[in-house]
Amino acid sequence: MESDNNIPVISVKELVKRFGSRLVLDGISIDIEKGKTTAIIGPSGCGKTVLMKHMIALERPTSGSVYFKDHRIDNLSQKQLAGIRANYGFLFQGGALFDSLTVFENIIFPIRQRRKIKNFKEIEELVKSKLALVGLDGFQTQYPANLSGGQKKRVALARAIALDPKVILYDEPTTGLDPLRSDIINELILKLQRELSVTSIVVTHDMNSAFKIADRILMLHEGKIIADGDADYIRSHPDSIVQQFIKGTVGEAELAALRQAGTRTRT
Amino acid sequence: MIESIGRNTIGLINGVGMFGRFSARTVATSCASLLQPKTYPLIWLQMYNIGVKSVGVVMVTGAFVGMILAIQGYDQLHSMGLEERMGLLINISVVKELGPVLVAVMLAGRVGGALTAELGTMNVTEQIAAVESMGTDPVKYLVAPRVIACLLLTPVLIVYADMLGILGGYFEGVIQHKINSAAYWNYSAHGVELWDIGVGLTKGFFFGAAIATIGCYKGFNCKEGAQGVGQACTEAFVASFIAILAINYTFVVVAKAIYDTFWIGESLL
Repeated sequence: MESDNNIPVISVKELVKRFGSRLVLDGISIDIEKGKTTAIIGPSGCGKTVLMKHMIALERPTSGSVYFKDHRIDNLSQKQLAGIRANYGFLFQGGALFDSLTVFENIIFPIRQRRKIKNFKEIEELVKSKLALVGLDGFQTQYPANLSGGQKKRVALARAIALDPKVILYDEPTTGLDPLRSDIINELILKLQRELSVTSIVVTHDMNSAFKIADRILMLHEGKIIADGDADYIRSHPDSIVQQFIKGTVGEAELAALRQAGTRTRT
Repeated sequence: MIESIGRNTIGLINGVGMFGRFSARTVATSCASLLQPKTYPLIWLQMYNIGVKSVGVVMVTGAFVGMILAIQGYDQLHSMGLEERMGLLINISVVKELGPVLVAVMLAGRVGGALTAELGTMNVTEQIAAVESMGTDPVKYLVAPRVIACLLLTPVLIVYADMLGILGGYFEGVIQHKINSAAYWNYSAHGVELWDIGVGLTKGFFFGAAIATIGCYKGFNCKEGAQGVGQACTEAFVASFIAILAINYTFVVVAKAIYDTFWIGESLL
């Protein structure tokens, strides 16, 4: 067990990703420690989500490699990945619930894909417990269209943890939610971390959320990691780009550009 | 200008290559799915959506084709005193060409469009990525059942269209224009061979597979937003339509060559 704890759960080495001629990730290397919550922050469109999708091989690198424990995963086929992916839960930005299925069917989807369901009573209990964990027990027969944005995310989270994953990837879990609902999600992430001792990776640009939940924060800027450390380290980071981002203030150059641009758009 | 020609050419070749790979994966996965009873419920569901729900529209199409052929053909044949042979003309056109092709075009619109829109929306809302992230091959879960259902049911739908086309022709010819019923059917039975019906139905497998594969491919590679989904649907329909025409042409050439090799072609009239 000792040695198992030492190897990083996910390890990304020299990852480069291009979409056409656009360089999105430029030689990223990180190790994700077991049982910790890592937040990846950075401005919209800087490649945070792309980086996270590489960790579950939903995106394939242009060059570089990705490891889950000791297994290289970026070059595996769909079939070979199926087993590895059972260790993951992925919470998509919009929830990505299947809208033709009910909440219950959505949550049993990953279970059904892995094994044949024999004992329905047991599955019902399981779904009930997962929904209770996110505070939505009783919504089993609803369709996703009838749920609010926050409820969708919570159901999606229940689906992501249906197989008791070792790693949970959260793609902007609090985006588009009001402050109160955001905090419910933050508390849920912390709760899952405590109760299931999972390794979490959270992509976010919500700094309150990042400071609250993360053991380690990485900041991504123009395809590179420009800051890496715990919340205090990031708070007192000397780099002006980091400071601007975490405080949410616009730099002088952008302000000048804004002042110069007219208030009316030409039509 | 040269740059744009080059870019478009590269884009086209890329597209063809990606579609080729997608099709190869679809064929392999579909064959595998057919051997796994676990996937049958998914196929049944798609068969209902694609096949059963299309029966009505396909029958209406067939009936009108038969009736219109009879109306258009009657005067010409009547002036030569050949109206009794109209049954042959209508039935062979319907069974060999018009039935299969019009059913395919109908399905390209009704089924192909729906497939692209459905999968395109799933793609944009990351539902396809979600399927993949849960360790399920999206081609196996989403594409294979649709392609299998469409492939197996297009010939069946062609049978419906043929049947109504024949009845439509009969209605116009025999009931409206008072052609001798026995002669009408005799000439038809003499001229329309099992081969003709077989060729028409066999086309259906290829049309069905092409429509579903193109529809799914366009859905999987759809760009973001309502406009992206709309554009993907348009492209899917146009591509399916061209594919239907191309497959039909190839099929006619090949079928004719086979027929001429084994049987001596005789004039129909």
